[in-house]
Amino acid sequence: MASAGESGDGADGKGVTTITIISSDNEAFEVLEAAASMSLTIRHLIEDGCADGGIPLPNVTAGILAKVLEYCSKHVAAVAASSEAGSSSNAADAAAAPEKEEDLASFDKAFIDVEQDTLYDLLMAANYLEVKGLLDLACQKVADMIKGKTPDAIRQTFKIKNDFSPEQEEKIREENQWAFE
Amino acid sequence: MGRDGMDAFPEGVVQHILSQVSNARDVAACAGVSRCWRDCVPFLPSLYFPRGAFDAAGGGAGAAADDAIGRMVGAAARLEELVVYCPFSTALLPKWLAARSPTLRVLELRVDSADADKWDHLDCIGLAAGLEELRLWGLTMTRAPAWRRMERLRVLEIVGAVLQDTAVNGAVAACPNLTDLALLGCECSGEAVISLALLDRCRLDFVGSGNRSLRLAAPRVESLEVQGFSWISLRGGDRLKQLTISKNTGSLYHVEMGKLPELEQLSLRGVQWSWGAIRSVLQCSSEVKHLVMKVEFCGDFDTLQPFPEVDLVEFFNSHPKLRKFEIHGAMFAALCQKNSLKNLDSRFVMPCLEEVLVTVRSPLNAEQKLNTLESLVRYSVMLRRMVIRISQMKNCHEASDDFFEDICKFMYMNSGRVCIE
Repeated sequence: MASAGESGDGADGKGVTTITIISSDNEAFEVLEAAASMSLTIRHLIEDGCADGGIPLPNVTAGILAKVLEYCSKHVAAVAASSEAGSSSNAADAAAAPEKEEDLASFDKAFIDVEQDTLYDLLMAANYLEVKGLLDLACQKVADMIKGKTPDAIRQTFKIKNDFSPEQEEKIREENQWAFE
Repeated sequence: MGRDGMDAFPEGVVQHILSQVSNARDVAACAGVSRCWRDCVPFLPSLYFPRGAFDAAGGGAGAAADDAIGRMVGAAARLEELVVYCPFSTALLPKWLAARSPTLRVLELRVDSADADKWDHLDCIGLAAGLEELRLWGLTMTRAPAWRRMERLRVLEIVGAVLQDTAVNGAVAACPNLTDLALLGCECSGEAVISLALLDRCRLDFVGSGNRSLRLAAPRVESLEVQGFSWISLRGGDRLKQLTISKNTGSLYHVEMGKLPELEQLSLRGVQWSWGAIRSVLQCSSEVKHLVMKVEFCGDFDTLQPFPEVDLVEFFNSHPKLRKFEIHGAMFAALCQKNSLKNLDSRFVMPCLEEVLVTVRSPLNAEQKLNTLESLVRYSVMLRRMVIRISQMKNCHEASDDFFEDICKFMYMNSGRVCIE
């Protein structure tokens, strides 16, 4: 099984492997293999030796792919830094760990603060590419948009069709009167 | 893609999104959005009924709450976490818990302590055999609960309760595998006997009049905070890293414990401790790095007394790892040199001391206090910062003015390291 590095996908002189990923609109992105592997889908493709010449993703456009890879790169760097700090006996490193967690949290917060359409696209991409952290982040953001809204308002915000029959509608309204008085 | 709205989302994604919604009002709203959403609701892992959830129903709030909680809990087939802060009928609790016992892991209830007999219904908590975390607010426990062994329970918190000591002991004994125990703002008197092999963190804050004693056996405990006991016995401090013992009213007259080899932080607080108790704790804490001592008075009986003198050199020699040292009022006043510095071994040093906070309350024995401050600075090679608090100094006459002047001089001579608040 050829590893991505050996296939000439771009192992640079430092021995760090990179992978090329190609969006649905044919834009190529070169990223660290470790970052790309945050996507289980991509990781399986690499392991199956399908990474030669780049991994095509017919479901993800360049704009969204760029964002997903930005998320992965940031998070994989953070994981590497924290495992260094964990094994280091340097007290300063250990003390810096909660700060770095805060940095990551504010990165996430700013990262997911996007328009609704972009949010959906990120969510679907994270789901398809199986990037758990990003999927959780995007789902939480959508959930936050649900909070405090009436069913009508939720339907409007997310453009969802009301497919209840009038009788079902009535029953639901009765049961949940306490929530919307 | 997003232009089509969420209807285009695969159901697994909708499920994942809705799993992040737990506020009961929001869950009720979601159930009314569309069939797909309604079908997801039974799989939600967590339901939270806030305090005012049913306030809008006015006089019918109680019935509305019982109805809605019963319906929603009944429908949530995979419910793992249930939090109820709004008023509800405890008589219905057995039914709700029995229905969800296979999946329920976390339970948090606010119980109205007005009706003492409601505790019988809280026996039913034992039905939720898989419970891992239990938090109860405002209950009254006059007897030990009839729980079976709650083998899976790891976290138990009871806040603002009125408890009989037999009830406390019985409840804790029914949960042998606790790692976290917190009994806060609890009115209780008598003897608390707690033995927990897996306990990591423990906070006991017992209030009210009457004497209380604590027998705690916890071989793995790492963090322990107790307030309100006059008599304390601790077995198993081998892993203890943080220890705070306080007695906000009344007096603490006995502490027994073994050596605390891993102790890093120690805090002694209260109105009155017996000297034997203080000495006992300090003797077991030779490894301590961060020490706070804030006890107002000494004395073995009801009479409040000042502290016996504590030799500075001996004190720091027995606690060589001290990095941060905080000492207040009368206890600071007791530190002195007992002539030991005159014959001092020139190698005496406080090797690790970096930060000191001293509160000075009165100008009595000013010379001794200044000597102590000077010694602290002179013999601590690593000292970065000393803060002297004098804003609450009693006794407004000349002696205090002189003392204040002397302290200011001391500060200027050590500028950069010493400051006054």
